[in-house]
Amino acid sequence: MPERIVIVGNGVAGIEAALTVRAREPSWDITIVSEESDHFFSRTALMWVATGQLSHRCIEPYERDLYDRMSFRRVRARAVGLDLDARELRLAGELPPLPYDRLLLACGSRPRPGPWPGSTLDGVGHFVTHQDLQWLEEELHGGPGLRGGPPRPDAHLGASTDDSPYRFRRSLRQQRGGPPQRPAVIGGGLIGIEAVEVMHAAGLHPRFFIREEWFWTVALDAWESRWIAERMGEQGVEVLVDHDVLSLDGDAHVTAVSTDHGTFETDLVVVAIGVVPNTGWLRGSGLALDERGGGVLVDERLRAQPIDAGDSEDPTDLGVFAAGDCAAVRWFDGSVRPEQLWYTARDQGRVAGRGLLGDTARYGRGPWYNSAKLFDIEYTTAGLVNMNVAGEANWRFEEQGPVRSTSRVVVADGRVVGFNFLGRRWDHSVLLRWIDERRDLRWVLDHLNEAGFDTELVPPLRIPAEAKGAPLQGPTPSGVPGPIPPPVG
Amino acid sequence: MDLQGQNGLLSTFREPWRNRGLVAVGTSGLLVAFYSLLYFRDPLGVAGTALDPEAWARAVGLRSRWLLYGLLYSVAMIGGAAYYLRRHGNSRYHRVRVAVNVTVQLALAFTLPLVMPYFFTSDPGQFWKYEYYFSYFWPLDWYKLHPGTLQNIPVVLAVYSIVGALVLVPLLAYFFGKRWYCSWVCGCGGLANTFGDPWRHLTTASTASWRFEKRSIHTVLFVAVASTFLLVLDHLVGDRHPTFHAAVAGQWWSLKSLYGYVVGAILSGVVGTGLYPLLGPRVWCRNFCPMAALLGLVQKLGRFRIRVKPDMCISCGNCTTYCEMGIDVRSYAQSNQSFTRASCVGCGMCAHVCPRGVLKLENAPRLQSDKARQHLPVVDL
Repeated sequence: MPERIVIVGNGVAGIEAALTVRAREPSWDITIVSEESDHFFSRTALMWVATGQLSHRCIEPYERDLYDRMSFRRVRARAVGLDLDARELRLAGELPPLPYDRLLLACGSRPRPGPWPGSTLDGVGHFVTHQDLQWLEEELHGGPGLRGGPPRPDAHLGASTDDSPYRFRRSLRQQRGGPPQRPAVIGGGLIGIEAVEVMHAAGLHPRFFIREEWFWTVALDAWESRWIAERMGEQGVEVLVDHDVLSLDGDAHVTAVSTDHGTFETDLVVVAIGVVPNTGWLRGSGLALDERGGGVLVDERLRAQPIDAGDSEDPTDLGVFAAGDCAAVRWFDGSVRPEQLWYTARDQGRVAGRGLLGDTARYGRGPWYNSAKLFDIEYTTAGLVNMNVAGEANWRFEEQGPVRSTSRVVVADGRVVGFNFLGRRWDHSVLLRWIDERRDLRWVLDHLNEAGFDTELVPPLRIPAEAKGAPLQGPTPSGVPGPIPPPVG
Repeated sequence: MDLQGQNGLLSTFREPWRNRGLVAVGTSGLLVAFYSLLYFRDPLGVAGTALDPEAWARAVGLRSRWLLYGLLYSVAMIGGAAYYLRRHGNSRYHRVRVAVNVTVQLALAFTLPLVMPYFFTSDPGQFWKYEYYFSYFWPLDWYKLHPGTLQNIPVVLAVYSIVGALVLVPLLAYFFGKRWYCSWVCGCGGLANTFGDPWRHLTTASTASWRFEKRSIHTVLFVAVASTFLLVLDHLVGDRHPTFHAAVAGQWWSLKSLYGYVVGAILSGVVGTGLYPLLGPRVWCRNFCPMAALLGLVQKLGRFRIRVKPDMCISCGNCTTYCEMGIDVRSYAQSNQSFTRASCVGCGMCAHVCPRGVLKLENAPRLQSDKARQHLPVVDL
């Protein structure tokens, strides 16, 4: 009797799990439920579709016949509830419930809503879902780029709910008679700067409201961030740090952003203050959710837990797993929260796939690393950076010349524990190995170019001897306000 | 600007002329018409009319339509290079590579063939012997190893033809990959990377296109090698076997003529370049060029590869989209697999556009301890 596998979510965690199961079980019945899109796409690439650098099709990592080839059944609907005893997934739109033997929750994140009055006005949106992308494309360009929008963009509307993050937002383009003149982005993180880049690519000069003292305090220090802010300024972006938004104003649609430093006119606002697990629909199902963040609590095998585990010896009898942004997993520092990262969602999907198969694969969180490109400035981080490690000291070096770059090495107890780089490319796997080998600063600086990953003909980084011996500094040149929230990537 | 930035690509999918719009179709039509007149001047019967490319050449003071073609080619490359550098010129690799490309075209593929004959002969009937293109080798320039060609040109050039094709080109490809030729020296590659750059994202990366490419390009390679062999044989025994001679080199329908028309004129010219604005700039290089096929085989055995930084790819698709050879680079990047594909011409664009710096072109002695590098303690199975 083939197993019936149901996967909620068509993102990287869901699709990796489905492929993992299919690789071993050609005959199992695999159903993927997705409200958002027919095809798996790379969410991290949404910004390039919005700029016009990529098409909708370009960000789909597999050919569109994947679901046929792999015999994945697709249901384009919103999941609204779970019956753990009957093992049924309830769907919106009066669709019949989906019975399962094993279930994977890979339903990802939804944008964190603005906490301010006026956050639901027309003209206020986010940049997280595929529907957000379509909204922004409509607002900025009047529609998707050439050679195609997504197929069946409306297919989910018959089986959706009012609170769904995948509903379409009304565009003000017609009313305005064109693209926005004075768009604004709120939130000094990665999604925020992506939204700013998208607007900049459309020829606009957005205002960028950042609550903190500098852009991306969780990842950069003031010294590093200054360069990014300079770059944004050169490109015509008005970067407003230390601006606490108080309200979004307007009658029907947004017309201004009020902050503690004054009121600014606007006609389009992207709120990019993070994401939260898309798990509201699981409340009341009997699954244990993280009280603070809302993620599905899982064990090391990514098995979801019942709220009332009682004395049950085998929690697997739920047959429910969670992976990706919606799962609260245990981090290397012992905390329990979601990992909002592409590569961890992929890894969790693979582990969960093994779980769906009945294996005992465990998910072990590795060290922190990430990379990005911020207005064309390369960024790489590895290890414990901006995490206020006890006794930490920072070595800093700024390179000028054909290549402009900054390097920061975090040292604790004489050992290197973290790296932060801008302007060059680095192989994080080498950096992490050095951390693992507990190398000291001098050794690392002498060997640094072995971790270089710049493209050919880029001159290697040269650090003068006196710079290698430069005095170490505190965690950041100026103080970091308050405890540092979890990084989001 | 940053040496590795990428914002020269913004708006690619918002410009109709770069996405098979009317202007693209029109441009393609003009190119196809131009190549048809150039290659099929005689069968089309345009000699002596206003559409005669020979007459155009005379009008600008050039000896033949092929030199006129060389001139237009150079102009297209210079204009394309300016466009290319405006978009990707922040990268040193791209700057140096395109500079070499254009220099090779201007010096070796236009000026030298234009002026060299005057140094050796005053008889216009003998000019062709000295109109030598140093940057083209057999089997791309399939005539270069024909006995008829070799015995008629100066010995030094004949030796260069043979050593170049059989020793120099493959040896360099072993050490540096086929890129040293296909995207640094070759005129076809040079035109594709300059004039053809606006359309590089049109190359399809579908599995079906890869299947087609593998069959077609190796078929052309086989035909190129076998026909060269038959021409050598014809040279040795052709006088004694008139039917064989007629089939190989004697008649308009002979192997020699057909190869010239089908591969040289239609596949490399009319289709290969004429369809740039519709199918992308590497149709010829990817699917039909016998030299690319040969160098691809050497490349698979050699030292060139694209290294993938483990567990960093976000599957965004920039690399695959901007690969002019239709390689699904993302499929390797997202599975942490350093790789060497026979078709890769090493243009460097995938590494350049990668927003996470995952890719790096390199000529590495052997696979370094990649297994150790890739072992990140993320998943404990």
